[in-house]
Amino acid sequence: MHKKLKTHKGYYLSLLTILVLGLLLTFLATPDFILQVIIILVTIFFYVFWGILHHLLNHELTPRIMIEYMLIGLLGISILFFAHMGGLI
Amino acid sequence: MSYLRTNFPSVLGTFTDISIQQLLLLTNEKRQENGLPSLTINDNLSQAALSKASDMLGKDYWAHNSPDGTPPWVFIRGAGYNYIYAGENLARGFNNAPDVINAWMASEAHRKNMLSSNYQNVGFAVSTGKLSGEDTVLVVEFLGSTTYAPPAVAKEPEKPATVAVVPGSPATVAKIDTETLGAQKADSSKPKVIVANSLPQVKPLVNSQTLSLVSIRLIMFMFILAFILDMMIVERKKVIRFVGHNLDHLFLFSLVLLIIIILARGVII
Repeated sequence: MHKKLKTHKGYYLSLLTILVLGLLLTFLATPDFILQVIIILVTIFFYVFWGILHHLLNHELTPRIMIEYMLIGLLGISILFFAHMGGLI
Repeated sequence: MSYLRTNFPSVLGTFTDISIQQLLLLTNEKRQENGLPSLTINDNLSQAALSKASDMLGKDYWAHNSPDGTPPWVFIRGAGYNYIYAGENLARGFNNAPDVINAWMASEAHRKNMLSSNYQNVGFAVSTGKLSGEDTVLVVEFLGSTTYAPPAVAKEPEKPATVAVVPGSPATVAKIDTETLGAQKADSSKPKVIVANSLPQVKPLVNSQTLSLVSIRLIMFMFILAFILDMMIVERKKVIRFVGHNLDHLFLFSLVLLIIIILARGVII
């Protein structure tokens, strides 16, 4: 894992930057809920896009990898969606 | 959950630890800290706050003005409180009174409302119900006075006989003109000071909102833990995998968890 982190330091740093920026913007958008939803969706879209792009450029991009990123992205959105529907956020 | 809620309301339900007495006590504490006189509970303002909360839940909106444009002042007047100054603070999704007061104090406009020397009375309503299909707890605070505050009288110029609402503020303040002051003063000669009353409430054993929040956080922690364990096992056993970008997913799930934690706090307007 350390080797992986070192080799793809740029990718992981940019990924973290995207996610931290998404979190910060979501927090700053309070109390505009619609804007928060847009920011979260854009952040998760970038997460999926960045992962796929990284594999396209640095590894072999297979349908499995694409599906993995998309499913994880969808799972993240689903968790937030149901948390909202349940009145938690 | 809905089965439990319907058939065993004493086991699972939405309840809040926010009491009107506590809200009043904390509001007055903040005012005293800032050298301001305490507010007294006014039953008309409390009634107005209750009407506003019921209106929001009934018409399913979360705003100072109702969808048909009814401002908060209509509720205050409707309850028979002839204000000179009036203000409204709203909060939803909080579980205790200190959090509500702290959130209002942290917001410049709400803080100004709470710490205004113009107000002498306050009325609170704490209502639970569904807003946009979600179980929620609404807190309505109406502040008002039926007489001019002494320092404000000297500075206030005479204005035409219209109700003016300060726009653009999350917690708006209304003020009526000096021409109607005489009538207002006569009304306010006997200010009603009553002890805050609250309806007896059946407190369920488990708060459904807290239970849901704890459950979802637990599930998120389990996801994160599963990713970490999977990463460790794959690393130790040198398992070859074609997919499995656990570190990436760990970052994303941490973001989701943080969003849930941050947005789970109540909202004020």
